[in-house]
Amino acid sequence: MDAATSTAVYERTLSIDASPDTVWEFFVDSEKLMRWKGIKADLDASPGGAYYCEVIPGHTARGEFVELDRPRRLVYTWGWDGNDKVPPGSSTIEVELTPEGDGTSLRFVHRDLPDAEQVASHAGGWDHYLSRLETAAAGGDPGVDPWVENAPSM
Amino acid sequence: MEAALKAIAEPRRRAILTLVRDGELSAGEIASHFDVTRPAVSQHLNVLKEAGLVNERRNGTRRLYRARPEGLVELRDFLEGFWDIRLDELKRQAEKEERKKHGRRN
Repeated sequence: MDAATSTAVYERTLSIDASPDTVWEFFVDSEKLMRWKGIKADLDASPGGAYYCEVIPGHTARGEFVELDRPRRLVYTWGWDGNDKVPPGSSTIEVELTPEGDGTSLRFVHRDLPDAEQVASHAGGWDHYLSRLETAAAGGDPGVDPWVENAPSM
Repeated sequence: MEAALKAIAEPRRRAILTLVRDGELSAGEIASHFDVTRPAVSQHLNVLKEAGLVNERRNGTRRLYRARPEGLVELRDFLEGFWDIRLDELKRQAEKEERKKHGRRN
């Protein structure tokens, strides 16, 4: 971790058996976004358009679409309502979609997150992480997701 | 992480964590912030301790508590799981959608 910048990055690349265009829709279409994240979403997928997603009751992510190059590259900002450590728009998510056979290679990067040390030194950090943890916990139980149960590939 | 999740599911335990975030407090000092019995606070502290979210130190007859810094790092690691889980779900949903689009060919 670079101490000078003191920010954390989450990065992951995964292969999806769906075309880049299909995957793209899951980031810009409110109804499709809710299939994998959140209980309420309102997306204005245009440069400067608003990104709104209530992930679980009381925990709302907000940001703004920055770059949309369908179906290759998507950039939007991200943060949590009522959170002064990661306020709406304070971190950045970059999505890159590359054709891979009949499917897609998806590269997902979430940058400008505060690192643990930085969080520890700021009031509010605990509250932030605790609420994030609750969010993760709420989204992390596969038993409650009927979509997963019904997926034919399972 | 299971224990940490259970620990923070209770609002009062989250309040206790916030209290001992920046400094060490005795069980009595912590209890004075809440309108509950001292044994109830002790029980909350035990849950937090077992979840690795607070450290306990004995000073004579007093027990002192403060938030455990390493707990933050563990939380961070767990938070990466937030995206891991969501992206796995995205993959499932996108593949399901793709099959639906090409349903007639299958």
